[in-house]
Amino acid sequence: MKSTLPVNRVLLVLVLLALASLWGLDYASVQPNRIVPGAGQSLMSALGWPWASVLTLLLVICACTPVRSSRALLYQLMIVVLLILQLPLSLGWFIERHIDPALPYARAGIGAGFWVLLFLLGLMLIEIKQRIRLHAGWSLVIWLLILAVILISVPWLEPLALMREYQTRSQQFAQALRSHLALVGGAVGFSLVSGFILALLLNRYPAARKSCFGVLSFIQTIPSLALFGLLIAPLSYLSANSPLLQQLNVRGIGWAPALLALIAYSLLPMVRNTFIALHEVSADVLESARGMGMSPRQVFMQVRLPLALPIIIEGVRITTIQAIGLTAVAALIGAGGFGTFIFQGLGQAAMDLILLGALPIIVLALLADAFFSAAADRFKPGVKG
Amino acid sequence: MSLVRRIMHQGFMPLFWLALLLSAALGLHQLETLFQWIQPDTRAVIYSRDSFLSLLLNHLSIVGIAALVSIVIGVGAAIAVSRPWGRDFLPLVSQVASIGQTFPPVAVLALSVPLFGFGAVPTMFALILYGLLPIVRNTLVGLRGIDSSVLEAARGVGMSSVQVLLQVELPLAMNVILAGIRTSVTINIATAAIGSTIGASTLGDPVISGLVNGNTAYVLQGAILIGLLAVTVDSLFERLQNSFSVMEDRLIK
Repeated sequence: MKSTLPVNRVLLVLVLLALASLWGLDYASVQPNRIVPGAGQSLMSALGWPWASVLTLLLVICACTPVRSSRALLYQLMIVVLLILQLPLSLGWFIERHIDPALPYARAGIGAGFWVLLFLLGLMLIEIKQRIRLHAGWSLVIWLLILAVILISVPWLEPLALMREYQTRSQQFAQALRSHLALVGGAVGFSLVSGFILALLLNRYPAARKSCFGVLSFIQTIPSLALFGLLIAPLSYLSANSPLLQQLNVRGIGWAPALLALIAYSLLPMVRNTFIALHEVSADVLESARGMGMSPRQVFMQVRLPLALPIIIEGVRITTIQAIGLTAVAALIGAGGFGTFIFQGLGQAAMDLILLGALPIIVLALLADAFFSAAADRFKPGVKG
Repeated sequence: MSLVRRIMHQGFMPLFWLALLLSAALGLHQLETLFQWIQPDTRAVIYSRDSFLSLLLNHLSIVGIAALVSIVIGVGAAIAVSRPWGRDFLPLVSQVASIGQTFPPVAVLALSVPLFGFGAVPTMFALILYGLLPIVRNTLVGLRGIDSSVLEAARGVGMSSVQVLLQVELPLAMNVILAGIRTSVTINIATAAIGSTIGASTLGDPVISGLVNGNTAYVLQGAILIGLLAVTVDSLFERLQNSFSVMEDRLIK
């Protein structure tokens, strides 16, 4: 059944939601200092009527573009990108209008209306990108454009509460980034190597498959907080009785239990994907490779591994995303990382500190997703370049 | 009824874990000597702000209510976008269900605090939102996986579209849907435990309190209970899935 409406129904719904939240929710807020709760500002008072009406108009045009015109999607894409680009600028404009530079403690908060608009614009972008065949180069251009606008507007955004929280902790932030990446990298790297070996062993000894996957998925079932907690007592005991471990700074809390738990969680997706990838290379292909006179080593390195690579990378992608999230929880047992800010912020009821922890975690996860998805595509058999 | 009986009959593992969980919830405080040995220098070695049983029940009800809401919304949404009138929304919904899973559950939990403040409500919100994704995704996969000739045949014998949905599509997709619910509940049990950092009273409380006060005994008590709860629920789902695949086999034969 074809849609009877002359416009894209999905975009229409998203735009209506965006308009409702823009006009119904606070766009931003002004806080005299860190303690006092902010006073919310509606779209009109936050940005003034010219900006507010252009915003509304663009959304309406985006929804009303008739699907019949061949370039409709292209126009809609341009409008959505434009709307995304104006987001940081609108915050800068808001600060210009409402934050008095003479008050050094005044800060600007981001309102619910802004976040909902960002979310809905993201959905519109996903919707349009699915229906349009966009060259990979253009996607990159769009992302670079967004990045550039954010970087350009940073100097104006200094009074933003999020930025103020960052500025008082820029060193801790860098430290958190380092330890977050180190834990994720360590866990993914270790589980990649050991998962590969384990998958090869399982390929050779079918009898061990059931029990091995049983144990690994049992571990996966145990909630992260519980596993971190269960590791504390034995590690404290070991550390108390071993000077070597004490020298390595292995204690009941800190990086050691975090890394151990992360590796334990990482093994299942890694082993499963690697095993399936190696196992499912079709016997015919291997047969013909041998028939061409390849040695077993050549068959493995030149046929089996390349064919298995996309699924192995998919395993690395799942593992990395999972590890990024779990490392955030590991902050509870003193392992550092961005989770530290989240739990500090929760303790002080400082919402912007929570954001300072949560946003980088989400960005890291999305970046890892994009990177490994692209890598998996790159190595798909038959696709070159 | 026969389903329940079959679960009881074959379900040794779930019963075993359930018994262990209940005896831990009711009897952990009797192991004071053991915890005294683990945490020698502290007077209070048994978490006593709430009883373990009430924490367990609270944890279960938060996860249970969130799961019910996610199932209703998730399965409903997936059915809606796979009908002819909702098909326009299918690409967006299925993309969001997979992209959304990139967001770490902790981040979703933390971000619901600015929206709803502290307590059980933001926890529930995060659980519902995050729990939706695997359910939507699996329901879509399950519905899409049904052979179109089966649907054709069902319509051919004069079934209405509601009958096709309820008597053919959902039963055939049930196993995949159940797997989605299982994933969703597993994640939510873990996330609800972390929910005690945002003020929900769950089995995470002893762990967090123990971490804050440096009391390993508290941490251990909470961790054991959370672990047992997760394993018990998971083994129940496994049984449930097994009995559904048995039923499905019979249905097809």
